Amino acid sequence: MSTSQNILHAPSARSVRADDAVPSVLDVSNLRVVFEGDTRTVTAVDGVSFSVKKGRTLAIVGESGSGKSVTSLALMRLLPEHTARVSGNVNFDGRQLLTEPTSTMRSLRGNRLAMIFQEPMTSLNPSYTVGEQIKEVILRHRQMSKKEAAERTIAMLRLVRIPSPETRYHQYPHNLSGGMRQRVMIAMALACDPELLIADEPTTALDVTIQAQVLELMRELQQKTGTAIVLITHDLGVVAESCDDVIVMYAGQVVEQCSVEELFTFPQHPYTVGLLGSLPRLDEKRERLAAITGTVPDMANPPAGCRFQARCPFRINKCAEMPALMEVSQSHFSRCWRAPMEDLVP
Amino acid sequence: MTQAPSSASAVKPIIEVRGLGKNFVLKRSVFSRPLVQIRAVDNVTLSLMPGETLAIVGESGCGKSTLGRLLMRLIKPSTGEVFIDGQNVTNISHAEMRQQRRHVQLIFQDPYASLNPRMTIAQTIAEPLMLHNIVPAGQRAKRVAELLEMVGLRPEQANRYPHEFSGGQRQRVVIARALAPEPKAIICDEAVSALDVSIQAQILNLLKDLQNRLGLAFVFISHDLGVVKHIADRVAVMYLGKVVEIGASDEIFSAPRHPYTRALLSAIPVAAPPSHQRSRAARLHGDLPSPLSPPQGCRLHTRCPHARPECKTVSMKLDVEASGHANACAFWRDLPAQDGTEGVREPRNPKLEKLFVAFEAMAARSAQTVKGG
Repeated sequence: MSTSQNILHAPSARSVRADDAVPSVLDVSNLRVVFEGDTRTVTAVDGVSFSVKKGRTLAIVGESGSGKSVTSLALMRLLPEHTARVSGNVNFDGRQLLTEPTSTMRSLRGNRLAMIFQEPMTSLNPSYTVGEQIKEVILRHRQMSKKEAAERTIAMLRLVRIPSPETRYHQYPHNLSGGMRQRVMIAMALACDPELLIADEPTTALDVTIQAQVLELMRELQQKTGTAIVLITHDLGVVAESCDDVIVMYAGQVVEQCSVEELFTFPQHPYTVGLLGSLPRLDEKRERLAAITGTVPDMANPPAGCRFQARCPFRINKCAEMPALMEVSQSHFSRCWRAPMEDLVP
Repeated sequence: MTQAPSSASAVKPIIEVRGLGKNFVLKRSVFSRPLVQIRAVDNVTLSLMPGETLAIVGESGCGKSTLGRLLMRLIKPSTGEVFIDGQNVTNISHAEMRQQRRHVQLIFQDPYASLNPRMTIAQTIAEPLMLHNIVPAGQRAKRVAELLEMVGLRPEQANRYPHEFSGGQRQRVVIARALAPEPKAIICDEAVSALDVSIQAQILNLLKDLQNRLGLAFVFISHDLGVVKHIADRVAVMYLGKVVEIGASDEIFSAPRHPYTRALLSAIPVAAPPSHQRSRAARLHGDLPSPLSPPQGCRLHTRCPHARPECKTVSMKLDVEASGHANACAFWRDLPAQDGTEGVREPRNPKLEKLFVAFEAMAARSAQTVKGG
């Protein structure tokens, strides 16, 4: 396990290790991603630290532009090297992913690290059958004959509950519905029993009834295989229903980190409070929603101090200084001077 | 809230459709006889009263957007009739329809695609004023400034181009343009789906404020039931081109009749602590059948958790109750009662509710000081 050098980020690393002895699969500390353009430089991810434990699901939640997808791409080393400067430590099973040679990354990706993207149609090759595409992954990473690989492919399709997998094996992506394509992506991602699965908005393009099916499937497969999952989403409902731990990102930083239970019981950062308050609810009708005013700051020149201050109703003078991610209660962290929020309730 | 259509005899609906249907031809023979047709909308009857919000919900491919276009008569129905403001517009000429369009405007999902990147937003908003000759040329700039203020933008931003605005701001511009010809109704086709939650809440609040101020009616097409619950007075649920349930919003959410409505409600992930998650009501299994060959009988029977053999032959006639609530399940009275109401409970921590109140109160106070200063 890498120990974090940066005092700011030490607590986050401790938080996930303190309670139990489940080993963590992935340790990220002080991850920074800077995009350098011709005219401006954007820090998309600014000192993000977290760990994911075996068999658990970590949610990274945030709005567009908060840096959640860039974080996941940086972990997989999928960002273009000539524009993105990535620094920090990413420890996966004793390896420093950010410094591994490209060839090692290639043998890890799809094998021990897998990823699912939002739009299954653009992630599948339209000119190959789905069976061939899954088989290719297995042949690349496992010592198997083509026949064995084909059998495993059909077993995987059956596992993700695709009806009549033998027929579907020979069909092309356009023959399948959106939900079914996403299942194929899951089958492909899990084909080599990865230790870590990164799912970037896996259900956003799907209808709610299909989303419920896919999330349930991911949950079930995780219980069978013990895969650790990082689920990136903007949907707090999805976080509540299918994750164990959560980090909330805002403008490239982690602003809150805790268990899912605690986040929805009592959040400790004003941004999270605003997000939860702005959700239209099913059980009551309010005249107005508690919207967060304003918009996200320009990441090319973020404001000094707390990045949420311009939109925060609880701001004080001290907010001109950047708060650290501080432990508010047992393994509940918040980047806010006003935390704990209990003090703000009359 | 809004005026309920109780005094229906006096108040005329703004939009009314009867037995509306739309077929799209996918394949024709050499003699251009239709070979393969898709019934995107099938026998829909509904009306929109002044000042009310009617939501149309359903999953992708259920025909809700096609219905929206039919309501505006952007496309011609294959069967049935459309009345706008009491006038039958089913077969009127293109020129006449253009005149009518002033009364019903449309907002789309993607604010990036619905604004012309080469026009300043002032030009965009002034265009309907010019087309319908509502405001004389000399006063248009003033009217544009008023409209911008109405949607929460600053008049000095009028000369900027769409790319200079964020998604939420662009949607405000689109709303200002829709308001320009002083319509009686606006059809919002997934108008907030592309926006982040915090921005989505801003736009929903804006739409509600505008409705209260101007007495607008909305047709709100959406797949997001949480949003619909917040904004709608009445809800129509569609499945494979058919309306399967229609009724007052409160009724739909507190006592949904049709198994599809129940399944939709229970499939929504709820932002509550895992220890307080509601029990899973019966879920739909499988995928949406191909709309090219919808199942015989009740169209839901292939996925319905309560399906029985008779469902393959029943008709999907709407069973209208005394309250006006209607649903298309032939056996809804026999369905287990509890699994409908279970679906929408969202227990919350009272301390957290207080925090929300504090957040809102402080936000309102700081908004006031900004205005005052």
